[in-house]
Order: sequence, then structure tokens, then C-alpha cells
Amino acid sequence: MINRLKLLKKIFSGYIIQDEADVNNFNKIITESKKDLNKLNFMKKSVVKTTISKKFIIILPQNPGCDINANQKLGCPMRKKPGSQAKLKKDVLEQSLCTGCGACVGLCPYQVVYRDRTVQLHDCDLTDGKCYAFCPRTPADYGQIRESLFDVSDVTPEIGAVKGYHLSRAADPALRAKAQHGGTVTALLGVAMAESLIDSAIVSSRNEELEQEGRLVEAKSQLCDYAKSKFTVSPTVAAFNRLMGDTAGKVGVVTTPCQALALAKMKTARINDDGKINPLNLVIGLFCGWTLSVESFNRLLQQYQISPEAVTGMDIPAGKNVLEIYTKASATSVPMVEVDACVRTACRYCIDSTAEFADLSVGAARFGGDCDEMCGWNQIIVRSEFGKQLMELAVARGALEIREAPASALQDLKNAAAEKKRKALKNIVEKSRSVKNLLYLSSDDPVVRKYLDAGTKQRS
Amino acid sequence: MKRTRQKETKNLILTGVGGQGNVMASRTLAGMLVDAGYIVTIGETFGMSQRGGSVMSHLRISPDSVKSPQIPRGEADVIVALEPLEALRVLTVYGNPQVCVLSNARPAYPIGVITGELSYPSGENIQVAFQRLSKAFWIIDATSAALALGNPVLSNIVMIGALAKTGLLPIDRRMFEKEIKKTLAADKCAVNLKAYDAGGGMIK
Amino acid sequence: MTKLLSPAKSKVLFLGNEAIARGALEAGVSVATGYPGTPSSEVIESLAHVASERNLYVEWSVNEKVALEVAAAASFAGLRSMAVMKQNGVNVASDFLLHLTASGTRGGLVLVSCEDPGALSSVNEGESRYFARMLEMPLLEPSDFQEAKDLTKWAFELSEQIGNVVMLRSVTRMSHASGNVICGKLPVKSRKAHFEYDGSVMDSSRGPMISTPVVAKHLLHQEKLKDIEALFEKSPFNRYVGPGKPELLIITSSACFLYAEEAVEMLGLQKRVGILKLGTTWPLPPKLLEKHLRKTKKILIVEEVLPFLEENVKVLAASLVSRIGINTFYGKYDEMLPSAGELNPDIVAAALCHILKVKRKTLPANYLNDSQKAAALIPVREQTFCAGCPHRASFWNIHNAIALDGRKGFVCGDIGCYSMAALSPATGYHTMPTLHSMGSGTGLASGFAKLAQFGLDQPILTVCGDSTFYHAVIPALINAQHNRADITFIVLDNAGTAMTGFQPHPGLAISAMKEVVPAVDIAAICSAIGAKVAVSDPFDLETTGKILTSFLADKGLLKVLILRQACALSPEKKGKKIFDVKVNESLCLGDACGCNRLCTRVFRCPALTWDRTTKKAVVDEVICAGCGVCVSICPQKAIIKL
Ligand SMILES: Cc1cc2nc3c(=O)[nH]c(=O)nc-3n(C[C@H](O)[C@H](O)[C@H](O)COP(=O)(O)OP(=O)(O)OC[C@H]3O[C@@H](n4cnc5c(N)ncnc54)[C@H](O)[C@@H]3O)c2cc1C
Ligand code: SF4
Ligand code: SF4
Ligand code: SF4
Ligand code: SF4
Repeated sequence: MINRLKLLKKIFSGYIIQDEADVNNFNKIITESKKDLNKLNFMKKSVVKTTISKKFIIILPQNPGCDINANQKLGCPMRKKPGSQAKLKKDVLEQSLCTGCGACVGLCPYQVVYRDRTVQLHDCDLTDGKCYAFCPRTPADYGQIRESLFDVSDVTPEIGAVKGYHLSRAADPALRAKAQHGGTVTALLGVAMAESLIDSAIVSSRNEELEQEGRLVEAKSQLCDYAKSKFTVSPTVAAFNRLMGDTAGKVGVVTTPCQALALAKMKTARINDDGKINPLNLVIGLFCGWTLSVESFNRLLQQYQISPEAVTGMDIPAGKNVLEIYTKASATSVPMVEVDACVRTACRYCIDSTAEFADLSVGAARFGGDCDEMCGWNQIIVRSEFGKQLMELAVARGALEIREAPASALQDLKNAAAEKKRKALKNIVEKSRSVKNLLYLSSDDPVVRKYLDAGTKQRS
Repeated sequence: MKRTRQKETKNLILTGVGGQGNVMASRTLAGMLVDAGYIVTIGETFGMSQRGGSVMSHLRISPDSVKSPQIPRGEADVIVALEPLEALRVLTVYGNPQVCVLSNARPAYPIGVITGELSYPSGENIQVAFQRLSKAFWIIDATSAALALGNPVLSNIVMIGALAKTGLLPIDRRMFEKEIKKTLAADKCAVNLKAYDAGGGMIK
Repeated sequence: MTKLLSPAKSKVLFLGNEAIARGALEAGVSVATGYPGTPSSEVIESLAHVASERNLYVEWSVNEKVALEVAAAASFAGLRSMAVMKQNGVNVASDFLLHLTASGTRGGLVLVSCEDPGALSSVNEGESRYFARMLEMPLLEPSDFQEAKDLTKWAFELSEQIGNVVMLRSVTRMSHASGNVICGKLPVKSRKAHFEYDGSVMDSSRGPMISTPVVAKHLLHQEKLKDIEALFEKSPFNRYVGPGKPELLIITSSACFLYAEEAVEMLGLQKRVGILKLGTTWPLPPKLLEKHLRKTKKILIVEEVLPFLEENVKVLAASLVSRIGINTFYGKYDEMLPSAGELNPDIVAAALCHILKVKRKTLPANYLNDSQKAAALIPVREQTFCAGCPHRASFWNIHNAIALDGRKGFVCGDIGCYSMAALSPATGYHTMPTLHSMGSGTGLASGFAKLAQFGLDQPILTVCGDSTFYHAVIPALINAQHNRADITFIVLDNAGTAMTGFQPHPGLAISAMKEVVPAVDIAAICSAIGAKVAVSDPFDLETTGKILTSFLADKGLLKVLILRQACALSPEKKGKKIFDVKVNESLCLGDACGCNRLCTRVFRCPALTWDRTTKKAVVDEVICAGCGVCVSICPQKAIIKL
């Protein structure tokens, strides 16, 4: 018989298959454990391939190139359960849906931000994780979130909850000079701090390559150092996650819409029971059309011979269809088509332009009319009760000026917001190739349904 | 045929995990036996196996001839293990109804167990297996005894002391003392003798 | 007095490699060189210990080729010398060896190759016996410890007789096994070295040492081989045990003889099977073979690994067929025995059972049943980096840098302890998908880096140990620099050849004989060829991580990072902890979301254990080497330095 045994002596992690006795023995181990092979981490992790020829089993240790996911698909019940880091990778990162918000980062050692990319450093085998639960690009019940954060009667399909809508600006002209538009955001933070509604704020800070990170500011006087919009993404929520381990006290966060959504998901998530979210007392949202990828934007700057560290600010003046880039010495207008190529892919699938899940949302007042006058002002949407109190307090303390917006302004804003929703849904359907698969969104949500219908109608 | 054959040669397997002093123990034992006039062959696995892997020395103690450095399957007479799982591993390959087992009690977990991917058999399961697969067995806490003497690596000497006490091999304290005086620095002999005695004291 | 210098007639327990060293001493060896490699290292190590007492020159050479060259110089000057290496080392030395056999030698020169059937501690199970046939060198193979000594001694005499190099081949189960040896006399006088070169070109004892005129010298060499063949006919190292007319004749050599003997005894076949054990396996002594081949029709050839002996015996038998008739050969060609992996008594016994239709007694069925049940409980014990190993920290850094970079970079591996990163991938965090011979990592990396032209956009990294750097990396590194290969080359400098037991290498200021010698600085060599060089401590995760990520982002040039930290098993570190660490249970998150056992599940230091009942990590103080790296990785700061 020995000559028929294909004289194999395969050493796998100390298990030697050497003759028939071994083979029988091993066969037995395999068959006995087969029933729950999928439950055995051992089989999933360290061994991926069992080749059974007539008499021999070759157990190969997992090699780096192998596809564990494919193996796990074979009947592993865990995969169907939403919520793992692997699912985040498959459904968000690999689909280019990652906004770079940082909600999955800073919670644990596995998820990190490098440059403006979200990176999974090591595989995590938990099946129900915060990373997945908090990500704004995983499915969520928006209806439930709206209910728990806002007055349902305030909710509009285009721009979310609206308790109030005004034009506003910081009363202090020095602050306005340092701010993006009217300095509303910075002024509101300042009042919140002065009145001890928050003890610190998380804003965004850029480096010389225009990479950003969230920055904790504990002194009111430092807030204006971080004013002005940076159109690359800031993983602001990662900073929140990281800092919440150490900081006591109440915190306010300035966010893009996806970040506001992530924070809202955190507040309402069932998995979030360690109390780290409790310090979050204020979310100020920014209107947002898109963010830029650091790498491609830096390349664009290079084309215009602007060094990234020289950039002092950027804006999108109304009606000109350009991005203006300011340095100490110059202002450069870059046509929007060129900028468009630098927009993060994820933003094309975003349906929120007004940060619908914030307490207050602030944007430019750049609709029609007299542009020069308006550019020193913001539009502000008051959404929550707390947001309303803060705005009123800011006005009462003389830090913020408000005035009524022109009659058509709110409708213009709604139209623009609805347009973004339609476009995003159209892009989503194009990507998934099916109206039934809306990636992270669900047609059960009335808002989604509304603009999806419109979107598909438009196509047909 | 095989089992009833009169065995002139004693087959002893000393096993453990890389870094436990397995090689030193087998050489010390062999040195003692060579001195006593036996022809001893040791087959050892080291090299990569030092890095946390299973380590095994095959000792063939013959009155007259050189033996293969690998003991055939099912042919061990004595198994001495510095680690219980390794005792079991060797027992399932080289064991037979006549084999005697002397094992240290303290587990050294394989990396797969440390990481939680694999499980380590319970002490109870190990005992049951020893019972079924050996003629006689002893499990002693050699590591604790060694730690009490200040260095866990002395557990190999504790095991030699215990082995001598079982009477399974023709060795005694005088032979041990003579051997370590040859191989160890003078200042280390006293603590090694203490370890040897501690081992003997653990065999009832 | 060391055991190696035991007086004549004393009976000592020698490791196979010590027996070889003793044989060389008895032959009056003056110069011994080698490159460390399991299972060969102890030969040079034990000779180094007695170097001053015996007036030897012992050297750990930079690689095997240089080792053989250094030894050959001694031979040319009339001394007896020896070069020792593992099987693949012979490949490295083979270029010189080819020319050496052609030029001939003077003082006895023995090439010792310690091979590793089954690759117990190698990444190949290569054979060097074929070199003996290819380069026409006499080949000797000891099959016990006494023979290991005696054959070594005889090899020197043979070498002088033939005026050429003689090869002695051992295997792991011989080199790393121990057994009784009766010592012979150690010579009292040592030779004086002088290199004579004025004689005629054909006079290999006084003329120049060159291979030309090639054909004439070749013929002369073959003539001398005939004399050797005649000597082999009468050699006591070839012997037959068994009945006058055996049913089956086993022809074997090396440790396989012991397996065959054991198998025959185990099956009680002493009256039916004879064993011809050969100590001289090339060239084969034809008369001796003829005498034994006549004894029976059935021949089983037992050897490791490839059918070298089998082929040579069959060729001989074919030429003798008119006198001995037709035999049936069993061996590798008919798959009676495996041509891969090592043999053992069980495998040989199985073959005997099959050929002779006998049965081996098995254990009682219920015993086997219980045994199988118990076997099912036993978890595998994978090899891993030691607790406190700098390589674990290095690969942690490498993994993270590759992951951050995001272009699916990879490490071309090389030979050393760090090969484990390829052999058991979780240990190297799945970063190292190639592993070949010493220095090949850098050569491969240099090649991968030139594939950008064809669309390859992955960053290329490679690692090598400090000893490997000198051995074979330097030419590949120069190639990379000269051809503008964009690679990140990482030297895992752990201050010694750790895998084979801390032999010094050119980077250290100490020689095999414990003399103070100049150290050759790796960083200086790399800077000198124009690479961008940085040095860091792998335990400093932050600094090392920053350098690595910046290296990967810095495109188009050769970058060298030297990660310096002594091996956890090194004499200066062993048993001394830098830090005492423990886990603060109240901070440890265990397997909860937020950590999910980073330390035990992913980092995998063997001193960090997962306690299934408390669901916390625990530091095993017996195993922990106190490197403190786990303190830096724990997200909760739950692992604390005491
Ligand atoms: C990427 C991006 C896109 C935008 N798109 C639009 C748009 O299409 N339409 C529109 O009306 N308004 C848009 N805005 C908002 C607008 O640019 C102003 O931020 C807003 O009008 C508030 O002005 P302010 O003067 O009150 O801000 P400031 O008082 O200057 O305060 C701005 C605050 O935002 C923070 N911040 C800056 N950049 C980022 C960032 N990338 N991520 C998170 N926080 C940041 C700063 O740290 C600071 O706290 C966008 C803002 C950003 C950052
Ligand atoms: S599941 Fe939890 S621990 Fe795992 S990656 Fe996600 S956030 Fe981190
Ligand atoms: S969108 Fe935000 S939470 Fe989701 S993967 Fe990207 S960074 Fe993480
Ligand atoms: S890394 Fe830290 S928190 Fe995580 S299991 Fe280990 S000790 Fe506990
Ligand atoms: S300090 Fe930590 S990483 Fe280092 S050996 Fe001890 S347990 Fe392992």
C-alpha cells in the first residue's frame, strides 16, 4: 500500500501527515468537526483550503492572497447580520461611498485615517460593530432619527426640520473678516462657550498639504483661528471619538452633513451604551455641496502653480461657476468643471446639502440679489429646540445679528436641496443598476421615495 | 510480536516547548547514562522549533548498540513532558499500553490558543487521556517548584529529579551531581541539586 | 577541559556535529571555516571553542563560497582545512567548487555538507550529493556517531591522496543526534604553511593552482578517482549485515542505515533481509556492489531524499547484467519510498511489509481508538516569534505602513528567523508573500520595482537580517540602486545570526574565536552606494511608523531603514526584562467593540494570553520578555509598565 500513498509528508503547523494512520486520523477530525466548521474560528482564520484527494488531505495555511470573504459566504450565518467591519469594507469603502467623516475612526485600533482615506489596519471579526453602526453610509432608519431629535411637524422633505430660517452674521466685524462668510458658526460657538452651554468645541484644522483633522478648542479666543471653510474633508468625528475617552464636559461640533448624520446615528444607536456620546451637546452643521479629495485637489493646485500651504482661503462666489482660491498674494479662479474632477466620489451619492441632522445649519447667503452685500451674511436654519435657544441667546447677547431673508430665498434653498437629492439618487441607481437597490438608502423612507420617483421619472 | 518482544533498549521521549530547556535535560540524562556504561542515542529537533514550537528528544538507551535517532510509532517506554499538551501529542503517536508518562502540570499555550482561535484541552480531559493511554502517569507542578527556586527554566531539572524517583530509568542523585559538575558552572550546581530534590519530593 | 578534547580511548556522548569536529581535530585540521546554517553550525562552533588550545584558525565567513575559498587557501599552503555548510550553502560555494575540483588541492581539504531532509529547519530539502557526481568528488556519508568522527578523519587522508577536495555529507538526524563515540589520538605537531608555485603547470603539488590545461588536468583527476574507487572496495565503512543468501538486500547509507536496521529488527526479519551499508557513496566500489548484488534478486534502496544512490546502483547493475542477471529494484522510482521528506523506521518498515508480504503488529484497537480521540483534542502548536522579539514589532510597523499606504504593497522575504513571517503568515501580519534563498528578497524586490513600466503600482519592500545582508544582499542592493529600483529595504538588525544561535558576523566587532575585529557598518555601506538611509528602533512604533510611511510615499528611489534591536534570546537580553508589564483588568476592553482583543488576537505576542473566563488579556510573567511594545499598542492604555 505504501507506494499508493502518494508519499506525502506535508507539515502544517506541526501536524504531520505522513501515512495512512495520519490520514485516517485527520479525516476523522475533519468529519467530526464539519458540522460546525463555520463556527470554528480555527477553520476560518488559520486554514482556508482543504484539498481532499483520494487519500490525502492537504491543509494549507491561509495565504495572504486568499479570499476569506468568499469562504465565509459559504453558509456563514454571521455574514447576513449587518454590522461588521468587513461589511463596512465591502459596502462602503470598496463602493467608494466613504465620505471620510471619521465616524468609524478613533473608536478602536482597527480603523484609522491616513491622508484623507479611511484605512482598515487589521481585520476585526466582531459581527456587530460601532464602526458599521455609526457610519453615515450604512443603512439607518432616518424616520426614527428625525423623531428622536426634532419636532416632527417641523420636518420638510427638502431640507429637514425647520424651526426658523434667517439671514445672520456675527456682530463683530473683526470676526467676520476672519470667517468664511458671516462668521455665524464661530459666533454661535463663542456664545455657547461663554454661556457654558459647551465647555469645548471640535472644529477643523488643516496642515500645509490641506489635509485636515478635527481639533478640540477649549478657549473661546482660539475659535477664530480655525474659522473659514476648507473644502477638503475633515475627519472631524474621529476627533470626537478619540477625545471623548479623555474629556469630560460638554462639547459642540462643527460638521458637514454626513458628519451630522454620523453624530445623530451615534446618539440614537442601540450599540452605543458606554455614555461616551453624552458630552455631545451641540451640533452646528454646514451646508455642503461636496468635499474635495486631497490628492487630486493638490494636483489641480499644482497645475495652477499654487502651493497648498500658501492657500489662505477658498470660496464659490454666486453665479460665476468657479472656485476662487486665495493666497496672500493672489486670487485664482478655477473653472468648476476642473474642480468637479476632484470631488470625492462619495459626495455624488449624498442626498443632504443642509446638514439636516444638526441643531442649526449654516451656509452662504449667495442666492441671486446683490452678491457683494450678501457675501458677508449667512443663511441659518434652526432645527432643534436647543438650536433655537442658542440662536436667540446669541442675538440677545449681541453676538449675532439676524434679519429676515428675501421672500423667495427659502424656496430657492429648498429647490437647490431637492435638486441635490434627485441627482444623488440618480447616481445611486446608476451605480447599483436597480431602483430596488439604493445602496445605503431605503425607499421606505418617504423623502427618498419622493426624490427617487422624481429622479426615475426624469430619466424615463 | 512487537509488544512481547523482550526490550533491551529503553525508549524515552522528552518533550516540551521551545525554550523550556528540553535539549539541556536530554543531554544531562544521556550524559548520566553514558557514564553508567549505556550506549545512548539522542535524536533531537531544534532549529526553528526553538521558536515556540513543539520540541522533542528521542533517547534510546541500549546496553549494546547504536539505535535509530527516531523511535518508531507506538514504541515509547517513557514519556517525560515539560508541558502537558506535548505529553499528549507524543502519547498519541508513540504511546502503547505499557508506556509511563511523567508530565509537568503547567500549560504553555500554543499561539492559536492564546489568540482564542483554538482551545486547549481541560486538565481533566488530559488526565483521562493519560489514564487510558498509559500504564502509569504522574503529573507534577514542576514550574511552580522551579519558580520557588527563582527561575522557571529549572523545571527541566525538577522533572529529572522526579524521573529518577519513579525508578523508570537507572539513574540516581550521585550520577546527576557528577554530570552537572562536568557541564555547569560551579555556582549553578547547588540550585540545580535543589531542583532535582524538589522533583524527587513530588513523586509519592 | 572541554569534551571535544577528551583523551584518546575515552567514551563520550557527542552530537553528530561534535563528532565531525573531533574527527577533524584528530586529522590535524588547521583551518576551519563555515557559514552558520542549521543543522551544520555546531561543527564550527565547537572548533572555535578549542581554537586557541589547538592552534586553529576558525572563521565564520561572510558566505559559503568565501568559506570554501578561505579553507582552500590553507590547503594550497599545505595545511589541512575544512569548510562546513548546510545543503544550500554548497550551491553558493559551487561556482568556486567547480574550479577547485579542476585545479586540485594540496593539504587535505574536506567540504562538509549538513543536509536537512524533510526541511526540519530549512525552506528547502535540497540535495548536494549530486554535486559529488557532477564535480567528481569522493563522497562519504557516516551512518553513526563513531563513523562521523572516523570518516571525517579519513576524509582528510583521502583528500591528500587524490589531491582534491572530498565531500562529507551528514543529515539533520545525524548532525543533531547524539551518541557514543570512542575518541582517537589528537596529533601533537601542527604543519607549517607555505605556498609553493614555481613547479610545472601539471604538478599540482608545486605548480600554480589553476584548472588549465583543462582537459589534461581533468583526465589526471579521473585517473586518481580510479585509485579512490579501489580504496573504497576495501573500506571498513562499507559493510554488510545479514544472512548469506537474503531474500531481500537493502542498500543504504547515512542515518537511513539506522532506520533500516531498526525496521528489520522490529519486524523480526533478520534472517530474511540483509543490509549493505555504504559509507563511500561516490564513486561506488563496483566489485563490492557486484558481490552483494549477486546475493539476491530483490534489492531495496533506502536513502534520503532523491534516488541518488539508487540511480548509481542501477547504472552499475546495468553494466554488470551479463554477470549478475536481472534484479528487481525497489526504491524511489517505483514509489516504494517517498522521494520527498525524511524517512524513519516506520516508513522503511511499511516498505518491507509490502515487499515481503508481512504484517507489522498493531496496537490494540481500543487503544488506537482512544488515542485518536485524544489526538482530536490537541491544538496545533504553530511557531511564532518569541515574546519580546524585535521582528514582531518590525512586522507590525511594516504591516501598518503598507495598510496606510493602501496600494497593496508587499515584502519580499529572505532567510532568517523573520522567514517565519512567510511560513506562518499571521505572525508576519500577512505582509510577506515571497521567500527564497539568502539575498533573493532584495533581488526580487529590485525586479518587482522595475515593473511599473508594465502597470505594477504596488510599493515594494524587502527585509533581510544583518547576517544575510553581508552574505548575499549587497550585490542585489547595488543592482537596485544602479537601476533606480524604487524599493524600501529594511534591515532587521538583531545583532547576531539569531536563528542558528548567535554566531558573530561582519557587523559585529568580535570573531568566531572571540577576537576583537573591525565591524563593517551596514548603514555606511548603504549610504556609500547612494541610498537614502534611516535607522530606528522597531520598539519605537511611532518613529518607525513615521519613517516607513514617509519612505513608501517617497517614490522613485532606494530607501534603507535599519531597524536595530537585539534578539530577545540574545545573551545580553535573555532573562532580563526592560519593563515589568501587566494588564489593568478594569481598563481592558477584552473582546468588546472598541478593542476586540488587539493584543491577543492580532498582535499575538505569546506572553499575552486571552483569559476566556474573565474575558480579559493577561500577561504571562514567565514568558514575557518585558519589551513593552504591547503597552504602546493597547488602545485603552490597559497594559501598563510597573
Ligand atoms: C466642504 C464644504 C462645502 C461647503 N459647501 C457649501 C455650499 O455648497 N453652499 C453653502 O451655502 N455653503 C457651503 N459651505 C459652508 C460655507 O462655506 C461656510 O462654512 C458657512 O457658510 C459658514 O460660514 P461662517 O462664516 O459662519 O463660517 P466660519 O465662522 O468661518 O466657521 C467655519 C467653521 O467650519 C469649520 N470647517 C471648515 N472646513 C470644514 C470642513 N471641511 N469640515 C468640517 N468643518 C469645517 C471651521 O473649523 C469653522 O469652525 C461649505 C463648507 C464646507 C466646509
Ligand atoms: S467592530 Fe468595533 S472594534 Fe471592530 S473595527 Fe468596528 S469599531 Fe472597531
Ligand atoms: S463614511 Fe465615515 S464612517 Fe463611513 S467608512 Fe467613511 S469615514 Fe468611516
Ligand atoms: S489591547 Fe488592551 S484593551 Fe485590548 S484586550 Fe489587550 S489589554 Fe485589553
Ligand atoms: S512586554 Fe508585552 S509585547 Fe513585550 S514580551 Fe511582554 S507581553 Fe509581549
